[in-house]
Amino acid sequence: RRELPDGGARPNAAQFKQLVVTALRELHGEVGAALPVDVLTYEEKTLSAILRVISSGLVKLWSALTLLGFYQNRRCAFRVLQTSPFLLALSGNSRELVL
Amino acid sequence: MVRFKNRYVLCEVVSEDPRCRQCIEDRALGLAVRDAITRVHGDYGLACCSISFTVKYLNAYTGTVLLRCRKDSYRLLCSALPFVRCLESRAQRYPCFLNTLHVGGTIRTCQKFLIQYNRTQLLRLLQNCTNEEERQCIQKSLLSCSLTEEQSQSGDEEEDDGTE
Repeated sequence: RRELPDGGARPNAAQFKQLVVTALRELHGEVGAALPVDVLTYEEKTLSAILRVISSGLVKLWSALTLLGFYQNRRCAFRVLQTSPFLLALSGNSRELVL
Repeated sequence: MVRFKNRYVLCEVVSEDPRCRQCIEDRALGLAVRDAITRVHGDYGLACCSISFTVKYLNAYTGTVLLRCRKDSYRLLCSALPFVRCLESRAQRYPCFLNTLHVGGTIRTCQKFLIQYNRTQLLRLLQNCTNEEERQCIQKSLLSCSLTEEQSQSGDEEEDDGTE
C-alpha cells in the first residue's frame, strides 16, 4: 500500500498511475517507464493504493516512488506501508492474528 | 585483488551526410551518448554510466570511436547506443547512428580488433571501388600493410590503422 499526503485536488486512479509511471521515467528512463505496474485498488479518500509489480522491478519502483517529490507543483511523498508477495497478506497484520 | 575494471566499447559513426565526418568531436559525441543514456535509463542510468565515462579515441576520417565505462554499467551503455540519432556540433544537427564493433576489457584488445577490422574493410573497398586511381591507392595501402608484417613483426603493423 502507498499513502500520499496532499493539500488540494486529489488524483483519480488514472492520474495516480500516470504519476507512478512519471516517477519511473524520471529515475529509470524509458526502460523504467515500460515496467509493467498495475494499480489493483485505489481509494481516493485515503489516497492509498495497492500496486502490483514483477519482483525484479520492486527495487526500481520503490526507489522511483521514494524520490518523487512533486505532484502538480505541490510537494507530496509516497509512504510504503507494506509489501508482500501475496495479496492476502496485505489485508491484515498477521502478528495480531487471533486464532 | 581490488581494482576498477573498465570496458572499452569500439563503435563506428555511420552517417549519410558527408559533412558529418568532419564535424565529429569528442565533446559533442560524449554529450550525445549521455543524452541517449538519460532518455533510456533515466537519472540512475546516467549517474551509473558517467562514473568513468570518457571518449578515449576518435578518428574523424574513419568515424571510429572508443568509449570507456565501468564494467558494472557497460550493458546500460551498450543498450543506449542505438538511441543516438543525431550529433550536434556548432549549432548543426547531423543524423547519424553508431554501430558497435567490439567490446573489450583493455585498449590493446580493441586496437588489435580495429587493425583486423580495417584490413577486412580495405579488402572490401578494393572489391567495391569503381575508379582506377582509387583502386591503385587501396592496392598500395594493402600491400604496405601486408609487407610490413613480413619484414618486421614488432609494432610496425600497429601504426597501420588504415586511412581511406
